[in-house]
Amino acid sequence: MVLLSGLFFACTEQSVEHVDLKDLPDKVDFNYHIRPILAQNCFLCHGPDPSSRQGDLRLDTYEGATADLKNGKAIIPHNAGNSLVMDRVSSSDPDFQMPPPEMKKTLTSKEIALIEKWINQGAEWKEHWAFIKPTIEQDAILEKEVSKQIDVYINQKLEQKKLQSSRPATTYQLIRRVAYLITGLPPTVEELEQFSNDTDDSYEQMVDYYLASQRYGERWARHWMDLVRYAEHMGHEFDYTINGAPLYRDYLIRAFNIDLSYDQLVKEHLAGDLIEDPRLHPTEGYNESIIATAYANLGEGKHSPVSIKEEESIRIDNMIDVTSKTFQALTVSCAKCHDHKFDPIPTTDYYAMYGMFESTRFGPKPLTDQRLIKTASQEILAEKEKAKKAIIQLLKSDQTDIAISESIDIKQFIEAQSDQSNNNFVKILGDFTQGSWGNWQTDGYAFGEAPTSQNLSIDLENNKIEIAPSAATSRTFTSGLLGTLRSPTFIIEHDTISVLAKGKESSIRVIVDNFQLIQNPLYGSLSKLVNSDQYEMYNLDVSMLKGHKAYIEILPGIYKQHQYHLDSSAYVDAQLVYTSNAQLDLQYPETIESQVTIAIGDQIKAIDAWHNNKPSNRDIKIINAKLENNKPALWGSSTILASLEKIDKSSSALVGSPMIHTMSEGDAVLSPVFIRGSYKDLSKEKVAHGFLTATKLENDNFPQEGSGRLAWAESVLHPDNPLTSRVIVNRIWHHLFGQGIVETVDNFGLQGKLPTHPELLDYLAITFVKDNWSIKRLIKEILMSETFRKSTIPMEENLSTDADNLYLHHFPIRRLEAEAIRDGVLASSQRLDTSMFGRPVPIHLTEFMTGRGRPRRSGPLDGEGRRSVYGSIRRNFLPPMMLTFDMPIPFSSFGKRNTTNVPAQSLALMNDPFIQEQAEHWAQNTIDDPNKSTTERIEHIYLTAFARKPTTVETQEAIQLLQDLAGGSISDEKLKNNLELWTHFCHSIYNLKEFIHLL
Amino acid sequence: MHKHRPSNKPMSRRELLATCGNGFGSVALMGLLGSLPFGNKLMATPSLVSDPRVPHFVPKARSIIFLYMDGGISQVDSFDPKPRLAKENGQSPYDKFEVETTQFNNIGKILKSPWDFKQYGESGMWVSDLFPHIATCVDDIAMIRSMTSEFPEHTNANYFLHTGSGIQGRPSMGAWVTYGLGSENQNLPGYVVLDGGLTPPGGLDNFKNGFLPATYQASVLQPKEIPLANVIPNESQEAQLAKMKYLNRLDNNLLNKIGQPDQVEAAINNYELAYKMQSSVPELSNFKDESKITKQLYGLESDDPHCRHYGAQCLLARRLVERGVRFIELTCPNTGHDRWDQHSNLKKGHEDNAHAVDQPIAGLLKDLKARGLLEDTLVVFAGEFGRTPFAQGKDGRDHNPSAFSIWLAGAGIAAGTVYGRTDEYGYKVIEDKTSFHDLHATMLHLLGMDHERLTYRFSGRDIRLTDVHGRVIKGVLS
Repeated sequence: MVLLSGLFFACTEQSVEHVDLKDLPDKVDFNYHIRPILAQNCFLCHGPDPSSRQGDLRLDTYEGATADLKNGKAIIPHNAGNSLVMDRVSSSDPDFQMPPPEMKKTLTSKEIALIEKWINQGAEWKEHWAFIKPTIEQDAILEKEVSKQIDVYINQKLEQKKLQSSRPATTYQLIRRVAYLITGLPPTVEELEQFSNDTDDSYEQMVDYYLASQRYGERWARHWMDLVRYAEHMGHEFDYTINGAPLYRDYLIRAFNIDLSYDQLVKEHLAGDLIEDPRLHPTEGYNESIIATAYANLGEGKHSPVSIKEEESIRIDNMIDVTSKTFQALTVSCAKCHDHKFDPIPTTDYYAMYGMFESTRFGPKPLTDQRLIKTASQEILAEKEKAKKAIIQLLKSDQTDIAISESIDIKQFIEAQSDQSNNNFVKILGDFTQGSWGNWQTDGYAFGEAPTSQNLSIDLENNKIEIAPSAATSRTFTSGLLGTLRSPTFIIEHDTISVLAKGKESSIRVIVDNFQLIQNPLYGSLSKLVNSDQYEMYNLDVSMLKGHKAYIEILPGIYKQHQYHLDSSAYVDAQLVYTSNAQLDLQYPETIESQVTIAIGDQIKAIDAWHNNKPSNRDIKIINAKLENNKPALWGSSTILASLEKIDKSSSALVGSPMIHTMSEGDAVLSPVFIRGSYKDLSKEKVAHGFLTATKLENDNFPQEGSGRLAWAESVLHPDNPLTSRVIVNRIWHHLFGQGIVETVDNFGLQGKLPTHPELLDYLAITFVKDNWSIKRLIKEILMSETFRKSTIPMEENLSTDADNLYLHHFPIRRLEAEAIRDGVLASSQRLDTSMFGRPVPIHLTEFMTGRGRPRRSGPLDGEGRRSVYGSIRRNFLPPMMLTFDMPIPFSSFGKRNTTNVPAQSLALMNDPFIQEQAEHWAQNTIDDPNKSTTERIEHIYLTAFARKPTTVETQEAIQLLQDLAGGSISDEKLKNNLELWTHFCHSIYNLKEFIHLL
Repeated sequence: MHKHRPSNKPMSRRELLATCGNGFGSVALMGLLGSLPFGNKLMATPSLVSDPRVPHFVPKARSIIFLYMDGGISQVDSFDPKPRLAKENGQSPYDKFEVETTQFNNIGKILKSPWDFKQYGESGMWVSDLFPHIATCVDDIAMIRSMTSEFPEHTNANYFLHTGSGIQGRPSMGAWVTYGLGSENQNLPGYVVLDGGLTPPGGLDNFKNGFLPATYQASVLQPKEIPLANVIPNESQEAQLAKMKYLNRLDNNLLNKIGQPDQVEAAINNYELAYKMQSSVPELSNFKDESKITKQLYGLESDDPHCRHYGAQCLLARRLVERGVRFIELTCPNTGHDRWDQHSNLKKGHEDNAHAVDQPIAGLLKDLKARGLLEDTLVVFAGEFGRTPFAQGKDGRDHNPSAFSIWLAGAGIAAGTVYGRTDEYGYKVIEDKTSFHDLHATMLHLLGMDHERLTYRFSGRDIRLTDVHGRVIKGVLS
């Protein structure tokens, strides 16, 4: 038995508090004083969730708190003496006291006194601060400049709290501070020289300089990546690749660098695919707006879930969590199983969002130059027309008989199936032989405007010209183009889905409950590879998933290990899709009888029909037979060849675009409520699509078609939305000061922290919107304030009153983030490669990184010298040094990182080969400059690392260290070229605390 | 025998501050390895809970050794005998009970166990021939035959077992424990994973701190000359010492210049600790001071290299317990059968795995007991789920989260008990259904913590290891 000392329990004893009434505020404020007490202690049983409510009492609304109870009222305004609440919280009778003893919570004497005073003052109720629209007090006299107004608000609080502002930071400190906070890199020695001349406007010039740097976007994109749990792989057993994730990262970097207005950024994230006028990439010309929607797809993914519906509920839960936190700082996912215990977020809000994501489809999207698509596709069609004319002329001149085999009529075939089948059921889901998509949709441009009845397809490689019969074809222009043909959402009722198709390296997929990672052993039958130049029946077994919702997608390209590949020769043609209970080996007999001879007259008729754009499938067969017969003549015609070459040239401009999985619209799916969060226990009623009700925005006219994402985005950006602008300005403030005005940057709900400077927050939110949602502009205003330019050293007298520096009497000292530390190391050693964008740099693997899905090859130790934002993010192989310095694990939104202090950090800086290697590079640079004396070298190293010159003592210490390492003493001459000693010195610089802290 | 470990007497805040006057220690430093209960306000981790807490009640255990049987060991072949399987071997399970979809859904016939079961000890507990050594320890073991999981897939099930949630990113049980109690050793991490060779599906995230401060993450020690990344210096001791002194002087100058912020002070102290770890960690696996008898006990002289390997991990676990490490997890050795995950070739796979771990585990239990350490060490043996009573294909078994066996031994455990019951096929639980939440609640309980009160505020909620579930499994407590 373990021995226990008395001391063990000493700490649990309650200390008796004496409340001095003078300590209570003159006017007790519900939002700032009372609600936090109620939320922490009472709401679990007397809050918004009726399922756990006790004694029929709710204390989260005025009506509830003042309602008649059996023995009176919980709260009687102006009369604490008769309010039952006071009896309960003051009681020590375990059967009577509140909170009850089993809750293990007790109110302090001060809290009880506050409640008493508040009731006696009238028990004024206020809505939670975050749900009231930001306002600026009418009688406020505002400074012209935002930066000055910031100081006014900050100084008011300091005066109130009797706190002394710290002195301004030094110029050098400010340059380093601004450089790191804006670009994530230390200032160069040249920049230091440029901006340290102390003229009136040099500070502003410096701020402008760094904000204009391309490095700015790289740092601020990474902040955003924390919110959307950015990763390039899906985790789970084999860490499959998320298609195109790095393109999203690049999108963010560009967006921040061009200072994309925040309202546009929001809109593009939630509905970039639905924006009428999407932004185009400035040089590449592709649709930028759509890339943002990939954010939702960056979560985990599991390849063989035993329950596909449960898997969907996990994925969507994560999307709800990330979306609601990122844009609204609300924890909507807390309302999955029951109404939110603290916030006015009912479960129906959760399932309204659920329906939004359930109605959203993900799939590959090509990033192709939009301008090229227009011109090239027109060129191709024009040339096809030219070629057609020449071909017609040539074919007409051929008078020989030909033979074709008669085809079965498709409709007849299907009807025959219906008759033969025992279950006697065949249902057509899609028919593309009649020149229309029906209720199907296409995505991308490969399939053209409508199914064609006569597409001329040219295969130069195989010397093949043919006309496709009536069908949906992905080679309206050329093969190798991406487009997706998708069915409406339907409920699976039959055993088999059959598609009559032909093609090359293409796919037919049944997407059940939005599940994409189709593979064996459980779901292999949901996907078929199309790889035949003759029409075949592709039968997909869906018998085990009856009752599930699904849609069918037909697309050129294939998934290998869940990564999408599109070969330049890939295409798919499809004629018919149906579902049945027929056997799986159902075959479509293309021919029913042997050859028939077609006389010249019928041949001419067929050609004329083609000429008039109305060939029947039989006509097409005749023409194709003639094309085959006249091959040498066709390939000998210079007119035809010229057209074909032009088509080929225009086509090649379109193929080979980068691909990313983004959103597109599906049919509206309204979700039921999952009772207690279980996907197996569903409410009868479905929840309409709509926006978060806590914002009190109009929901009556919320559209119920499609996903409703655009309307959701518009609600986020609605002028009456109380959260959006506050949330983003608070995030920016947080990144600049290391602490938000609201500390809980991802939670503005009742469990979040209250703003330290509510007026300032509102002022910034309103100004931000007025300034066209410009993030750079807001950053600049904050940087120009005196508040930002304070020293980190607090005034002695403040430490007893505001040790936590809530009121910003000094600039908060902070440790740099993981990325800034690594990038700073590379910048110092001059091994930083500032090239931008592109494929992630493979992770450097050590023997300590093991497990499934381990990449076959290790990346370089120095990450190719690229900035950390470009390093690969594999969920199962996250970079250890980054994690050690608190890069978040990408599973939920992290608007605020932890700052921990673990020995692994020191061990990394002391012993990690990367740090050693960079120290050596730095030392090599140092000795490569023979003109500098030892002292000058030390000075240069200090400027590089700390953006300041060393003091005399520091120079002496440095020389002493070099001497010590040399075994006591070393001559200047010998030291000059001693790589080892300088490496030790540079390595020590990396290990000084000043290197990883921002002063 | 003596107990070679520090006293469990917790320090008061005053004592703590007094201790800080000595040597290189400081309050901030002691928080570094989670050695203070519930983190430490003085440490610069702003997101820590605001009220410092102590254990909620008298603890029975001070350390936990978690023997993780990665892949899902078969209950009907190990600790839950089902004679009916032999009787109905080869018959269709569909005629017997409702068969649920499985991970591979390749449902074969009822499959009898290839191993015989016998009763052992005074308790008469049944153990199969797979575990002849563990069988000799049954009187120290409480067997739970009614464990269930919520997930039939490895990754989710692993996360669920380790973190109480099936999704990535939650704190592991070891992180919760060190967050709650801290460690007793100032030179070693409070939460150590001994990498037996196989990283479970879901990766190192099974051992992470999740949203808890990184202080509480596992240090994964590998069975190599260098057990931990960066723990061995790449330079001479003299050079390092000279540099450390230089750093110390300059950092302290800085500290004084900038008003001594806690955060920087803690970072400085961090270096002293890291410096010490460079010797304290490698010293762990130096078995020179272990007797030949001890080594034999753990299987270090076995002909089976996997047994020798796992034996060394078990011995290391005992050495960590002696040094006051709070939570130790052992992962499985790689016997070439993809963990305990025998979708086919059950006999050979389970046999080789069992042979690798059986003697070392029995050795560990006996050694802990002989040294008096078992009475305040909890040993837990568990996989993420069990296996089906019917075959997958011909000679494998698929995942079964609906019923499986795990066992506990040591501190506060009712030794020799069997808890819970499964149906005649070992397919479903029919009595005393138990979940990992219950296991977590029980583990915390034995460490003196109320699982409902061990919380951390994240994402607007006070989150627990046991989510909103969990009850202490009283039936296995002494």
